[in-house]
Amino acid sequence: MYSDLLNSLPVVLTFTNFAVVVIGVLAGIIVGAMPGLSATMAISVLVPFTFGLEPLVALGLMAGIYNGAMYGGAIPAVLLRIPGTPAAVATTFDGYPMAQSGQGGYALQVAVVSSSIGGIMSAFALMLLAPPLSKVTLLFGPAEVFWVAVFGLCSIIFLLGGNPVKGLISACFGVFVSVIGSDPIFGVDRFTFGQLELLDGISIVILLVGLYALPPVIDLLETPLKTETDASKLGTEPIWKTLPRMKSYIKTWIRGGIIGVWIGILPGAGGSMAAFMSYNEARRTSKNPENWGKGEPEGVAASEVANNADTAAALIPALTLGIPGTAVAAVMLGGLLVHGLQPGPMLFRENPDVVFGFMWQFLFGAILLVFLGGSLATNSFARLLNLPRPLLGSVIIVLMLIGVYSINERMFDVYLMLGFGAIGYLMDKMKFPLPPVVLGLILGGFAEENLRLALRIGRNDPSVLFQNTTSLVLVFLTLAVIVGPFLKRRFFDNKKKG
Amino acid sequence: MFKFIKKSLLTVGIVMAASTAMAEYPEKPITVVVGYSAGGGTDVMARTTMPFIEKYLGKGARIVVKNMPGASGQIGITKVANSEPDGYTLGTFNLPGMMARTLDRSVEYDRNSFSFLANVVNDPNVIVTQKGSGIKSMDDLIKAAKSTPRAITVGMSSLGGDDHFLLIKLQKATETEFTVVPFRGSAPARTAVMGGHVAVGIFNVSEVAKFQGELNVLGIAQAKRSSFAPDVPTFKEQGYDLINGSMRGVVAPKGLPADVQAKLEKAFRAASQDKEFLSSMAATANPVEVVTGEEFKKLTDELYSLAKETWETTPWN
Amino acid sequence: MTNKNKHRMLRPETLTALGIILISGAFLAPAFELGTIAALLPAVMLIGLIALSLILLIGDQRAASAGSPPEQVTKSPKRVIGSFILIVCYVLSVDYIGFYPSTAIGIPLIAYIFGFRNLLGLVAASVIVVGAVYLIFDLGMHRDFPIGHIWMN
Repeated sequence: MYSDLLNSLPVVLTFTNFAVVVIGVLAGIIVGAMPGLSATMAISVLVPFTFGLEPLVALGLMAGIYNGAMYGGAIPAVLLRIPGTPAAVATTFDGYPMAQSGQGGYALQVAVVSSSIGGIMSAFALMLLAPPLSKVTLLFGPAEVFWVAVFGLCSIIFLLGGNPVKGLISACFGVFVSVIGSDPIFGVDRFTFGQLELLDGISIVILLVGLYALPPVIDLLETPLKTETDASKLGTEPIWKTLPRMKSYIKTWIRGGIIGVWIGILPGAGGSMAAFMSYNEARRTSKNPENWGKGEPEGVAASEVANNADTAAALIPALTLGIPGTAVAAVMLGGLLVHGLQPGPMLFRENPDVVFGFMWQFLFGAILLVFLGGSLATNSFARLLNLPRPLLGSVIIVLMLIGVYSINERMFDVYLMLGFGAIGYLMDKMKFPLPPVVLGLILGGFAEENLRLALRIGRNDPSVLFQNTTSLVLVFLTLAVIVGPFLKRRFFDNKKKG
Repeated sequence: MFKFIKKSLLTVGIVMAASTAMAEYPEKPITVVVGYSAGGGTDVMARTTMPFIEKYLGKGARIVVKNMPGASGQIGITKVANSEPDGYTLGTFNLPGMMARTLDRSVEYDRNSFSFLANVVNDPNVIVTQKGSGIKSMDDLIKAAKSTPRAITVGMSSLGGDDHFLLIKLQKATETEFTVVPFRGSAPARTAVMGGHVAVGIFNVSEVAKFQGELNVLGIAQAKRSSFAPDVPTFKEQGYDLINGSMRGVVAPKGLPADVQAKLEKAFRAASQDKEFLSSMAATANPVEVVTGEEFKKLTDELYSLAKETWETTPWN
Repeated sequence: MTNKNKHRMLRPETLTALGIILISGAFLAPAFELGTIAALLPAVMLIGLIALSLILLIGDQRAASAGSPPEQVTKSPKRVIGSFILIVCYVLSVDYIGFYPSTAIGIPLIAYIFGFRNLLGLVAASVIVVGAVYLIFDLGMHRDFPIGHIWMN
């Protein structure tokens, strides 16, 4: 297998096959950086177009876009508090406060370096460990995946914000939105009110654009007198001067990278969950957790390393088992099928040039990210955000419409997005935290579906949920995360007394 | 930028063209509506087939595939049912799904809403187990199911699909009972079988063809063996009379002019003999079995009656 | 809403809590019509929303008794509602009149109304955005945007 890996290298290094990766990364950064446009949308627009292309040209474009967009999403997350992709939500926590205190340039540099490192780790996992890691995926049946979802949902606790009641309301709202659509087992309609467009459930992109992008747009229009955005003072220093400062994030990078790869190989979870978990773990182990959420660069590093580490790893179950780990991987799987590349264990033997070439392209995409994203793209985008606020606002409105409409080519989704926008604006003004909504939507229905599948397998005997080691380990981890902080405090209190 | 003007002129054009003779069909691009996202199985079928239909329609015919995903294909097929029967809007049509949906939910079309052009793909069902499983043949399976009813879990892509119908037929024929575990799509279900989380899986042959090293394929629900898995015996060979599968075809709205219908059917028949077509369909996991016009309609009627009977005796939700 | 003499039930947080309770309550009816297992999670979430909103409501009313002023929600509610209505109008016009004409007019119009009065800038923004979208999506990717219902028949 490793000889196939080396044999495929010359194929990738031809001019076209390499150039498409460069184009893809640039396009991805742009798509990610535009509020309202997402990687899912870009790749689904691209797939029909790739029919006529050579497999490696098409796949190189997709690999580039995927890598680029995962970083690009950090740009508006830092500068405008609008996550450019769902996975950049956790980047807003510390990135935006950094930009407000004039450290936006450094935040973006941390983001691009972390993204690149995450992408490289992920590409290596895909290249070297795909077959053994796909065995790990097989360990996760419905019961185990249910516990993963519960573990992820527990991190909501850390996202509740100042007022836990409001945080929990946000979380309940998110979970409620996740059940809209046809029921995962019986297919009965839940709260669709006869709308066919709602049957497949509400896409995370629609919710995210409405919830996160519309309120800032209204803010941009609401206060037109000031013509500069806060982020216009980036305070960028040359990257070689700031790199040494990033040495202290090495632990966070390794941890975030492992979390990202692990979430990637699990069916159905995805980049946003990886970013949230990596952020929480980094904060939990940080020496100064009180700084987090107020502009701690390590928070940006944790989120960005994990959401890029998820990219190539999500392709492991997609290529070996046909199950995509993320929405983008699902669309990419379609792109592969179009070229007659059917997922499965045979894929690696039947089409080594294409499959391993694709992996190389992923790796190159991740490395290119630093160079293309580093100075060039980032600075020009920051300049775009210096547009007069009313103009910026109206352009973002158009981008939101395009980004939501193009996914399924229907206006229904745009109206839905407006509805979420109105809710998002009210929530923002009433100080309800938005991250629990996102996590609730991603994991609520996911947990329910797997719980019900597990119970069906166990014929309604709940003991099926605790039957094997994988489940028990996950239950233990979940308990450790919830109870851990209390025990720690207790322990320290006793120590003080003693 | 001036597309909207162009398009509105075109709409006027359609109305005019419809009222005059259709002798020159096709004189403008034909749209094929696919009710699933780009890159899905049905989409790939449509995009692989259409270049060959273009070729055999001749006269520089152009076909554009348009995805209208959502609600397991219903948004797209409803659009097709309600569009002008002028031969410029066609749509993909999946069986038994499209007919089963007319039973288990209220939809705005029925089997009389269409002019049936051609069924292109017939993907027979298979029953599989994990490689290390004790169940290696149909006889093992039935014996195990009889010893403890409902103890055997069967993973499949959804309730009310072709996989589920096969199981219902099997249960009826052998007087057994299984526990159905409907996953969301066949890939997660197949993974659950490989990981040993469910005992048995029911899929289509194209979905397991690349996994024969990891799975025991117990049998195939077709009259003859499939070229996708030539070593797998049919159920008939093993003494079980089970024939079932998933079909994908192309329909037009009801009331298609007879000459247009004839031209399209002819193109599909010609494509079905094309070697290049057959090999590119095989490469994209599509077992081809072309059936046109009246025969396709008959096939749909049969599947509808079967689904109706099943729905009335054992509703699935 | 900055008026302190307003009734205490009109405090923004109280109104929000009441709104959530009403809407969740309305969704409970269709939830109970579903089968038992299918209804479980949505019903739990709706009841959770109602219970949490009650806590919020009580907390805010306590704060009102204690005399603490309600939180200020927005400085200029008229501008907020105005901008939201404009956005809705733009989306409706995309749906009925078509994407390209609506966007070409919408971008400069919204920017002008909210205080950007540089004519050249307005025209440039409109041309650049519409042109780029047309080149990338229509010419490049063969993607269509709404052409407008009113032109359809």
